[in-house]
Formats: sequence, structure tokens, C-alpha cells
Amino acid sequence: MRAVAIRAWSAHLPGQSGPLPGGWSPGPACPPERAADLLGRKGLLYKQPAERLGLCAVHRALGLAPVTGRWTPPEPDPRTAVVASSNLGSLETVCAVARTAGAGSLSDVSPLDAPNVSSNVLASTVAIRFGFGGPNLMVCSGHPAGLDAMRLAQLLLAAGRADRVVVVGAEPADETAAALAGADLRAGAACVVLEPAAEDSALVLHPVHDHADPESCEPARPVRFGQFYGAAGVLAVAAAAAANRTARVVAGSDADGWRCAVVETKGDR
Amino acid sequence: MATIAASAVRSCLGDGPATFAALLAGRGGAAPLRYVDPDLVNVGAAYEIDEETSHRRAGTWLAACVVEALRQADPRVPRGSVPVLAGTGLRELGAAEKWSAGAAGMTVEDLHFTGVLRETDDRLGPVVTVCNACSATGHLLALAQDLVDSGAAPAVVVAGADSLTVSMLAMIGRVAPDRTERIRPFDADRTGVLLGEGAAAAVVVPDGAAAAPLGRLLATGMSCDAAHETAPDAGGIARAMREALDRSGRKGEEVDLVLAHGTGTELNDRVEARVLREHLGENGPLVTAIKGATGHTSGASALMSLDVALRCLATGWVPPVAGLDRPAADCGGVRLVRSAPVRARPRLAQVDAFGFGGVNAVTLVGAA
Repeated sequence: MRAVAIRAWSAHLPGQSGPLPGGWSPGPACPPERAADLLGRKGLLYKQPAERLGLCAVHRALGLAPVTGRWTPPEPDPRTAVVASSNLGSLETVCAVARTAGAGSLSDVSPLDAPNVSSNVLASTVAIRFGFGGPNLMVCSGHPAGLDAMRLAQLLLAAGRADRVVVVGAEPADETAAALAGADLRAGAACVVLEPAAEDSALVLHPVHDHADPESCEPARPVRFGQFYGAAGVLAVAAAAAANRTARVVAGSDADGWRCAVVETKGDR
Repeated sequence: MATIAASAVRSCLGDGPATFAALLAGRGGAAPLRYVDPDLVNVGAAYEIDEETSHRRAGTWLAACVVEALRQADPRVPRGSVPVLAGTGLRELGAAEKWSAGAAGMTVEDLHFTGVLRETDDRLGPVVTVCNACSATGHLLALAQDLVDSGAAPAVVVAGADSLTVSMLAMIGRVAPDRTERIRPFDADRTGVLLGEGAAAAVVVPDGAAAAPLGRLLATGMSCDAAHETAPDAGGIARAMREALDRSGRKGEEVDLVLAHGTGTELNDRVEARVLREHLGENGPLVTAIKGATGHTSGASALMSLDVALRCLATGWVPPVAGLDRPAADCGGVRLVRSAPVRARPRLAQVDAFGFGGVNAVTLVGAA
């Protein structure tokens, strides 16, 4: 596998005031319930927090202005792929629907939640809104999911299955998600747009590798954002790109395994 | 191009040979719902595996299939060198639902399949769980072939598994006017989909690397409709079909057999039949489908169809569409195999897999 070019990045982290570790300040971010501030009102009904955050991150990575009028999705572009990472996005809806049905109140279950009980709703929601008709993958592999998503994106580009891959990671931090994943879970999303590397690519992502031990690969002092769980790997790449410094990014856990990759800038400061 | 070195299945009908035998005999596994009260979800039947498992129900069968497939293929590869791509629609969300209702023992790692494969076989490398709805393992066949073709891995395990969730049952029951008793793909009286449980695994290796190859993995095309969250779209499905043909350098008229996605829903079957007609020719290849016998096994279903396709290529026998009695008028122009197996000696088979979110994967597989 070869390095790929990083063309754009963003992070949408409600509640993050000031810089992240590594120095980057991704800027103010509306919480999921106010996603309409950025995305406009259309199409957000019954969208879960992870999808709202993910859509905001993609919107920002694409450099789009806040939507004031009516949003019309573009015609599907078959050469743009989506690889999404999230573990907990559907958890609360799934559990709530099961509890409602279990209590004998099936009629209180909304059919509009149907897409939300399927675990790939983040990836398809991004594809539908932005017209991305290429391969569409949803990675749910725990802590390394964000860098697993990067690796699958690199594979799609290497195999000529897309000219551009939008990688997006998003997690919610609702009560159900935090009860299962831990109280330090943070809601947020990040997006990185990858393309095949060219001669003059100023910023590249080298192939993602597996590592038994997060301290074992070079260079030292990795950028890590474990509390964002499935979004952590995407956020780490976005943060390294934004800092415009060659850096190692790591995501994972002892239980789920570790992945690491190097973000290299040709104009290193 | 790559080779399928092994394939293992666990469906409500049993293992791969037992499932194929049931399909040839016209037997299906639909039964009254066992583990959920039918009245709570307004769904009366399913294709469950009649087995008590740990809370990691899908993972239990997934691990069993991975171990069996690796034993069959027995690749001579270094420790930790074989990545596992694990496909699923619903992960272990069934366990999460019970946890949310008060059951103990669930951890966040139990949602995905890394843990169940730990210490099963030291040749296995990283496990990546991919949730691509009902076409998950179709997509993973594409990625596995790309990994093997590029030399990034000496072998790849593709696996898939799903078990029932109350939330998905509730969604089916919430919108269904009547309860469906069994899946009847392409039938005039089809009434909808039912969930099935099961798992499957396949080992993908470079050409020439399998001691007893089951078939050649020629190509998989992937697409996303980017159109509707739950309804299929002819344009997106056609793109996946065309890409599979283009990547393999084959023509539509060379396809001898199609393992249709065939969910028995009004919309899927009509759209699928139309795209097959338009892209593989009016009354082109034989078309069969397994979900009337196995249920909709979601993330495992593409690999189950692949296993059946490989058995058709190996034996020359094609089972009838399980659950089909009277073909629907809106599914005309496709050569549905009806009532009895056909001796056809197919050489090139197509496996269709379409999922929620408009995610499509179409795989072409050839005789070994």
C-alpha cells in the first residue's frame, strides 16, 4: 500500500474550547441538537446525534458555508467513496426501541427510526446528503475504528475503486453510550478527505499498520484522542494534518488492538 | 484475481452441506419465533438457530465458521498475517438490548467481533468489523480480493454473522400490514422479509495458493445508491453489477447463474428482477435465491449465497428459489429456477447483495 494525499480535514467537537493536544483549535461547533445552524433544517428529522455531528464534520471539511436556504443533495458521484467509523451511534435508539417494544408499546415505535436501528446509518446518511455514490463502508471495530477506516480508504484508492474518499468518524456521548463505553466518552466528529498521492502532494498519510504496542512505532510522541472512541483515529489524522507537522497518529486499545500511521508534511515547520 | 480456498456456513438448516441439501430438497427453516414474544413485535416467525449461546450470539457462530474455514484452507502463513474482515448488519446489538434491560456481563468490546476471535488461531491478524447491513460480506469480498491482489496479505478471512435483534423485529412488525410466515422471493404472493440467524466464513488466497480451491473470486463491484435510506435503487444496483463485469473482463451474457438477493419484499424483488433483465439479458442466466430457506441472514447472507454458488459450480446442480410457487408478473423476464433443482453445469455465477442505506455489492465467482 502507498501513501495517500490528505486534501481536507475538519473536526466538529461541541464543548471543545481552546486547542487540542498538539495545538490545533478546530473552532466552535454547534451541538447535535443545533446542527441546523450549520446544515439547514431540511433532512435532520430523526437523525441521531452521531449522524448530525458527522454531517457537520463533512460539511466543514468540504469548506461549505452554513446552509441558509434549502439544501439540495447533488447528483451521486460514483467516484467518491465514504468510509465511516462509529461504534455507539445507533446504541441508544436500538435500546430504546427494544425497551418500548418489550413494554408492549410497539405502536409508540416510530417507523422513521427504521434506518437508525441498522448500524451503517452514518455512512449512508453522509452519502445521501452529499451525493457520494462510490463504495460506502461503515467500520465498527472499537477503538481502532478510525484508523481502520483510514486503512480501508487507502485500499479503495489503491485498487482504483474511488478518486476521493471521505473518511468520517463520529460518536455520541448520550447516557446509554457512556454507560457502556465509560464516563469519559466525548461526543464529536472528524472528517478527512483522501485522494491518491501526487508528486507534489504537500501532506500525505502513510499506510496504516498494526502494532502490538502503541509505543513501538516511530516517530515518538503520538497524537491520541482515545476519549472520542471510534472517531479518535480520524480526529488524530485531522489534528496532525492541521498542525502541519510530521507526526505519528495512534488509535486502539489493548483489547481491540492498536493501529498507527504517519502523517507527513513536505513543508515541515 | 483470487481464489476461494475454503468456505464454512452455519445457518438454521445446519452447516454448508446441510444447507445446500435442504435447498435442493426444497426444505426451509422458517419457524415460530422462539426467543422473542411474537405479540410484542408483531412478527410471528423467523429462521432462528435453535441453540442457546452466550450473550455473544452472532460471535459464537462467526468464530466457529472462521475456525472451520481456516482448518479447511490450512494456509501456510506466518503468525498474525491473516487479517479478518468481519461483516455484520447488527453486530451484537441483541446483547446490548438485553444489557439495557438489565442483563449483566456486556462490555463495550462485545459489540464487535475482535474478542470472540482472540486465541482461536495464531495465524489471524487484526479483526476489522464492518457494519454494511445486508450486503456486508459482499463488500468484504471486494476488499479481501484487493488485499490479496495487491500483495498486502497472504490470505484474508472474510466472515459474517448476525442474530435477531428486538429493535429490527419491531421495525419489521411496525410497518408490516400482515405477519409473514415465510420468505417467498419473486412470488406473486410474497408478503415481506423475515430475519434469519447464522454465520459464514471464507478464506481468500492468491491464485495457485489453495490446495483444494473451491472457486475463483473474479471481481466484486460496489456502489452506494446515495438516494434513499431503506429502499433499493435500480441505478445504484446496476452500477455495482456493471463494475463487477468490467473488473473481471466478462460480459453479461457469460453469467450462467445468479444467486439473487431476493428478500421477498415487494420492492427489492421487482427492482432486482428489472436490473437483472436489463444487464444480463431478457431470460438470461438461471436465477435462484436462498432466503426463503435460510431467512435474511443480513451480514452473513452474501457469504451464504457464495457458498451455495460454489456448490452449484462444483456439482452442476442449481436448487430452486426457496419459497417460490408462482412468479410475480412484475418479476418477469428472468429465468427463475422453480419447484425442482436443475442440472445446469454453470461456470460463472453472480452473487447479489444489497443493503439498507443503498449499499450494493455484486460478486462474480468462477469454477475452480
